[in-house]
Amino acid sequence: MPISILPPSAPLPPRRDVRPDDSDVDMSDDDDFPTHASKSIVTPGEHITSDPQWMRGHGTYIPSQPANSTTIISTVAGTLHKTNKLLSVQPLRARYQPEIGDLVVGRIISVGTKKWSVDIAAPMLANLPLSSINLPGGVLRRRTTVDELNIRTFFQEADLLVAEVQNLHADGTASLHTRSLKYGKLRNGLFTSLSGAGGGILSRKGGVVRSRRQVFTLNTVAGEVDIVLGVNGHIFISKHVKTAADQKEVGINRLDESVTETLYSSENDDIEKGVMREITRVSTLIRGLVACGAKVDEDMIVKVYEGAVELEAEERSLGGVERGIGAKGIVEAVLERLALEAGD
Amino acid sequence: MAPQQPLVNLSPAELSFLRSTLAQSPPIRLDVTKGPRDFRSMRAEYDVLPAANGSARIALEDGTEALVGVKAEVERSRPRPTLGEQEEVATAAGGAADESRGKGQNSWVEMSVEVPGFREDDALPVFLASMLTESLLASGELKDRLYINTRFHWKLYVDILLLSPPLSYPLALLSMTTHLALLTTHLPALKSEKDEDPLFDDDWAAAVPLYPNRADANKTAPQLGKPPVIILAMAVGSNIIFDPAKEELAVADAVLAVACTNSTSSSTGARIVSIRTIDPPSHLTPPGVPNSINSATGGTVPTSSADALTQRELLANSGVWTPPRGGMKRGLVSQITKMVVESGGVAEEVIGALAAIEVG
Repeated sequence: MPISILPPSAPLPPRRDVRPDDSDVDMSDDDDFPTHASKSIVTPGEHITSDPQWMRGHGTYIPSQPANSTTIISTVAGTLHKTNKLLSVQPLRARYQPEIGDLVVGRIISVGTKKWSVDIAAPMLANLPLSSINLPGGVLRRRTTVDELNIRTFFQEADLLVAEVQNLHADGTASLHTRSLKYGKLRNGLFTSLSGAGGGILSRKGGVVRSRRQVFTLNTVAGEVDIVLGVNGHIFISKHVKTAADQKEVGINRLDESVTETLYSSENDDIEKGVMREITRVSTLIRGLVACGAKVDEDMIVKVYEGAVELEAEERSLGGVERGIGAKGIVEAVLERLALEAGD
Repeated sequence: MAPQQPLVNLSPAELSFLRSTLAQSPPIRLDVTKGPRDFRSMRAEYDVLPAANGSARIALEDGTEALVGVKAEVERSRPRPTLGEQEEVATAAGGAADESRGKGQNSWVEMSVEVPGFREDDALPVFLASMLTESLLASGELKDRLYINTRFHWKLYVDILLLSPPLSYPLALLSMTTHLALLTTHLPALKSEKDEDPLFDDDWAAAVPLYPNRADANKTAPQLGKPPVIILAMAVGSNIIFDPAKEELAVADAVLAVACTNSTSSSTGARIVSIRTIDPPSHLTPPGVPNSINSATGGTVPTSSADALTQRELLANSGVWTPPRGGMKRGLVSQITKMVVESGGVAEEVIGALAAIEVG
């Protein structure tokens, strides 16, 4: 099937991992509420209710103009959620809102004299100051003007890096740091970006799940593959490189031994063909997972990857296995099997 | 307006990885489920705009979406100074079938391309529009269909809208949408005769298609080809990949746009109406810095730019990204055109798939 053209489809299917009625609703039947169905979508500026018994939550506001108004108005387009007497609107699509401690994958947009601007899919670009990175060789010293002049040897425009949000400023911009061996420049792999908020408020509606292990190694048929799931929906999959840090935990005073020379390299190692294929396959599967509206975390990726390998083996031995087109088709088939197995 | 984003925003390490995956044999594409000849799946519908003579919408799976509306208008022809007045009288008597042959003018088809984030006179929309117009007018059949009589003609406005930002090079998508819109374009049936002021049948059901189907076409009338479809092919090393995604395009050695239409003879699957090379965005990517000349990785920075250049040349075939140079080899061009045109080739499949939606 070199080309497949389908008729236009209805809107996306409901997310798999969300039960139709997932808010712990404690509604009495006596209040006449304009939007009953939890599926209904409210638009910005829409009057949700003017009943004073409700409290406003995220995504809503009460206009101040007519004094003691009780009208609750939506500020975003999304689905209405009720938690007891609290009304909130979960946006359909939102940008990632950085929080301190988040692991993010970002891309350098511009290079300044003492800092980089990094795109982390947040409303505003994040900063990465020169003082928040590890120097090559792990030397601990003040950053000099020489370092400022050589700023492009560390990170250049369009470079990918994994970092942690160090703090947030009043205007919502984030400051990042890469002062750990886990963080730094990314290479030897493939970058995938999931649209919308990969985490944050949408975390329970698919996408990257926060507060799970976000950096892990997947055992594939061809070798080990590292996966970095940034909470901002940026994902990097690369060949697993054995470093000194794997063997032993290093103290801060021995940092110089373990910070390898390749920390700021933009040159790829030799990657075997099999590993390359598995890296691309994992990235395709993750995109398929998102297209199916499933959540993306370590468990899910491992399960779907194993399912996909099984499916491919079956396809090879039995001939065609019935499935849809492309990545979404594969993931759908795998998820169906998983659901069947869980049911048995 | 926000400043233009650079066309490619990938790090040298990513570019190097992408290139090495695509250079494998068989190539590993970004979407592993796709082979080198596979197109991204798409969703299509036609007759979406009620006020247009023909319209279509195609959405690709990555979210790129295009909408095309075709509108026709009767316009008074400017009298053309003709050299042989006598000769024209003679041909007019010849027969109604070839009355309009050779009388069409290129200016009767007007095309506008709108791409969000780009001005009308930016290079990308202008180039896309000229590429699409060129392929549409190349065969000369369409403009002759627009001829009504010596004083009037149809003026065809083709408005092409890209609804999403251009995630991948949108030429192929726009051309497929235009193809579908033109296939479904109907013009009101003419009731007046010869050089009278044109009078049309107001029954829309009686409207005649701009591109009549083979089945219901008059057997004696000259067989019209289908509107052209542009197919994008790129080369990485010795691999040829069709319908590249944005990231794949970023590492292309060369990109070729081949405009095809269905063949009227049966020896080949399609015939080429126009062909263009497209400057791949990979030419503009910055080269990667090899470890050996990067001070942050224990290398020594070359003292002069000439020195840096020699060192780069020596390392050209390692894991460092070096933007491709030069154009397309002749053998590669002929290989691509063969893959497109041969019977059972890519062009035939695409045209067939687009025709299948119209039926079903």
